Amino acid sequence: MTDVSSYGITARLPRGWDARIAKRPDPAGDPAGPSTRAAPEEGISTRSAPAEGDPPGPLAGTEHPVAHLANFPLPPVRGDYGSGAVELMRADDIFVALVEFEPEAASTPLFSHRGIPRFGVNDFSPHTMQRTIAGMCGAQAFFNRNGRAFCLYVVLGSHALRAPLVAQVNALLAGLEIDPL
Amino acid sequence: MTAAIVALGVVVGLLGVLVVGLLRSHADVLRALHDLGICEDDLAAAGTAEGRRTAGRRTTRTTGEIRMVPGVAAPGASSSLGRLVDVSGVDPHGGAVHIGLEGSRGLTLLAFLSSGCGSCLDFWRAFATDEVEQVPGRDTRVVVVTRGPEEESPSEVAALASDRVTTVMSSAAWDDYDVPVSPYFLLVDGSRGVVGEGAGGSWAQVVDLLRKAAADAGLALDDDRPRFTRRDLLVGRDRELRADRELAAAGIEPGSPELYAPLHAAPGDGADGEDGAR
Repeated sequence: MTDVSSYGITARLPRGWDARIAKRPDPAGDPAGPSTRAAPEEGISTRSAPAEGDPPGPLAGTEHPVAHLANFPLPPVRGDYGSGAVELMRADDIFVALVEFEPEAASTPLFSHRGIPRFGVNDFSPHTMQRTIAGMCGAQAFFNRNGRAFCLYVVLGSHALRAPLVAQVNALLAGLEIDPL
Repeated sequence: MTAAIVALGVVVGLLGVLVVGLLRSHADVLRALHDLGICEDDLAAAGTAEGRRTAGRRTTRTTGEIRMVPGVAAPGASSSLGRLVDVSGVDPHGGAVHIGLEGSRGLTLLAFLSSGCGSCLDFWRAFATDEVEQVPGRDTRVVVVTRGPEEESPSEVAALASDRVTTVMSSAAWDDYDVPVSPYFLLVDGSRGVVGEGAGGSWAQVVDLLRKAAADAGLALDDDRPRFTRRDLLVGRDRELRADRELAAAGIEPGSPELYAPLHAAPGDGADGEDGAR
């Protein structure tokens, strides 16, 4: 197990997992200029929280922290919700995106769930994918933790074989820590 | 007359066997010398005055002396072959980066570069263009590793870094792999660790070296055929390796108590996580 931490988010990673925790650089304040390392998904505004029940895409890019955790090699360029990465997934692959929203959203009904959620096998659906990919499935949940608002979006490489993958996801979420701002 | 012909034939036959034996012995000697790194040119030179003068240097060569072109770093005193350590650090903008190498699929090329070394410029340039696609292997990813922010300027690294490759700033990775100096390259296999290492003066040269290193390691990089033979599939080798990998990813190693737990789980202990705090 390896701990990866940045911007008040700490993930305990199993062996062989990749992780990135980043904010998209501020073009006005960063000497290196903007980067697409955590590119926004197409056609979205950057600040608004998604409506409950909406599919996860297209979703907003954000200037708040975004954490990507995966048990396969993450490509250098990804959308906040994994576009560019999920297309590379195989049947036993898992992709987890933790996307933070502005703190004010933590008090809204959408983010009213307190604490980091866990998923059941029935929470995953092929229709929850940002773009449907044959055989794969996704799930999302909104929550607040220590006054911070997050969307948790998980993609599994196989809907048919999701049970063991869900167990891995929940084990990963059990090791996730979010500090107050 | 007949007896004489038969005797002559026997003698010729014996001489033939003798010649074949000598040739075979000679081939064995040459093969042994080749395995030691001594080629026929070295043996020919050994008979000359120049050869006698440089005999000591040749001896060094057989133990692994490598000549480098100017500007290219010599490999370290200790080899990283077989080493397998994940790379953790930060990106040039301050975010956390963790490259999981242990058990990862495909190959990873760790390119140890620095912002201030002139020899590294060709690599920074190549990684910002389509040339980076020349890296051998369909699944091979390129990860640039610089020293950490305490030793490198993040803004300079950010200015050089390309979005085509992952860049991580980690002094620990340099220490973990005993990287002597930049530029330096390690080809890492998720199950076998470092399978090739070295330096090169240009990206094209490194690509060539990578192909050779991969071939030496028995990796068919640009082969579209599946890695397993039909026999492997029939005997379930693929399935066995996949099962081992999944068990290891779940933290279940040989001898783990989970392997001996009863099959029936207690109510509420299901893997579906329905009892989670959703």
